[in-house]
Amino acid sequence: MKLREYEAKKVLRDYGIPVPAGFLIRSADELAPRIHELGAQIVLKAQVDVGGRGKAGGVLKADHETAVPVARDLFNKKIKGLPVREILAEQYLEIQHEYYLSITIDRSKKQPLILFADSGGVEIETTARERPAAIRKAVAMPLMKDIPSFMLRELTGSAPREIDQVINKLYHVFCEKDALLAEINPLVTTPKGVFAADAKIIIDDNALARQGITVNRDLSEREREAERHGFSYVELNGSIGVIGNGAGLTMATLDLIEHYGGRAANFLDVGGGAESERVKNAVRLVASVPSVRVIVVNLLGGITRCDEVARGIIAAGIPQKVIVRLAGTNEEEGKKLLAGKGYEMLDTMDLVVKKAVAVAT
Amino acid sequence: MIYGDKNTKVIVQNITGRQGEFHSGLMNEYAQQVGGRGVVAGATPGKGGQQVHGIPVYNTVKEAVRDHDATASVIFVPGAAAGDAIMEAANAGIELVVVITEHIPVHDTMKAIAYARLSGCSVIGPNCPGLLSPGELKIGIMPAQLFSRGRIGVISRSGTLTYEVVDELTRAGLGQSTVIGIGGDPVIGQTFVDVLGRFENDPQTKAVVLIGEVGGNLEEEGAQSTNLPVVAYIAGKSAPPDKRMGHAGAIVEGGEGDAGSKIKRLKKLGVPVASRPSEIPEIVKGLFTNRC
Repeated sequence: MKLREYEAKKVLRDYGIPVPAGFLIRSADELAPRIHELGAQIVLKAQVDVGGRGKAGGVLKADHETAVPVARDLFNKKIKGLPVREILAEQYLEIQHEYYLSITIDRSKKQPLILFADSGGVEIETTARERPAAIRKAVAMPLMKDIPSFMLRELTGSAPREIDQVINKLYHVFCEKDALLAEINPLVTTPKGVFAADAKIIIDDNALARQGITVNRDLSEREREAERHGFSYVELNGSIGVIGNGAGLTMATLDLIEHYGGRAANFLDVGGGAESERVKNAVRLVASVPSVRVIVVNLLGGITRCDEVARGIIAAGIPQKVIVRLAGTNEEEGKKLLAGKGYEMLDTMDLVVKKAVAVAT
Repeated sequence: MIYGDKNTKVIVQNITGRQGEFHSGLMNEYAQQVGGRGVVAGATPGKGGQQVHGIPVYNTVKEAVRDHDATASVIFVPGAAAGDAIMEAANAGIELVVVITEHIPVHDTMKAIAYARLSGCSVIGPNCPGLLSPGELKIGIMPAQLFSRGRIGVISRSGTLTYEVVDELTRAGLGQSTVIGIGGDPVIGQTFVDVLGRFENDPQTKAVVLIGEVGGNLEEEGAQSTNLPVVAYIAGKSAPPDKRMGHAGAIVEGGEGDAGSKIKRLKKLGVPVASRPSEIPEIVKGLFTNRC
């Protein structure tokens, strides 16, 4: 789950990384009573879950005179289609230089990967494309508590030495907060020292519980309901509902729909042990999406009992057509249960998908 | 076969859990069919002295290894404690750890794999179905009835999609040497490169099917590393950018990890890529005819 900028900056502050003075407001009226905390020049930053917000007009400069009306305007704006509900009001920084710093996971080396560049800011992706050598890399040993000094020196080169400690502290954030990404971009030098001007932290969804996070904000309401049932669920925008077991098989089913010219409405992986109750819940959930006209059920597994799946489909009692491909035990019983009730059972995933595409178009 | 054979002795960590108990039974059924050793002991902290399907349970992996000389372990421990279980196995001298558990925090996986590496212990998974060498050895949860013995190796990041492909291969008369699920998480122990290295030294294996997913570039690294003829299938062509589809590993990462560019890179390396699973057997057969 992605933390918002103000949440990420609070984490950084807790770990001793300097961040600009600032506070969060949920209406323009909250700004005036505390504006004296910020100095003469301030920056108002919309807290929306979307990248490229600066270029979209989500970051505005103001002074004490203009701050309240500017904040009011920003609250009335939409940034890339998203309403602005929260604004981070911050002290304006006199930036001398911008650096880029991030820590993520190197899948090939199976270790944390630290990236540092002498030129940070919004153009970092262009830098990565055009001058890859400008981004220095180091791989940290996950069993070590700190990043060795030589590695920090190699990363930062001629940058101010105080940045070394920022990197090590960010590494502690990365490890202790179960982050998949901890990024400071830009990390800036000012006459008053080094500051994290912007910050991005993504927490591993598998570690939310131990990080004390109870609600995953990145999920839609239906996705959250799916999570409660133990399904992996992603909403798409076609008309063919998809239920499979296993992420790979379900993804392959989606690909096959596209291959035959159809469009999937969703991805739903019911997970292991598909008993009738789980199947019923899955079918109902997918059928509740208004655009779904037909549902493909593609379940494969040595231990999946086809009669259980058939019972679940029947119990769901949905109006849309259901086309089923099952491989597992009790295949014959399953077919008998579904026969004559308007359901269709076919033997291969190519066949069920072709049929569903024909029904949907 | 790779990673083990009939003589490999296996212990099950959390054998007293629902999944551990169920699959220990199936693994030993398979061992009995092929005349193998199978699961010789289980380990669950606090449950030492019990029996599961007649298999003795110990409190620690160390005790189980001491009494039974097991060299492999399969982990059904829940996510929050699974990283610890991997390290316990490595510390007890286990050479091969197969981690079935899903939803392990990735930082735990990174630490556990780094720790296992210190003692030369190979980790398969996490979030994987394990491995099956038809006629020899099954460690994990793969449905054995779909498999047949032969010359094709299969390496997959997926579970059920692997069974789909194995079923297609078997129906087409293409038996398998070893089928191995390496797991769908962003950080996994044995990768395509490691497993292909083992297949190269396995006289039984003549060609390998790689089943990949969007995300990362482990498939390309594997294809580049081997001299064996390879066929690939990549799931996730229709995955929208930035959407998570079940596996953390399936996050589409910018232009690099999406299925389309991955397929392009594989084709550039000379690897035939099937556009759907049912095409795989024909392409595999084509490899053999072309080489003869």
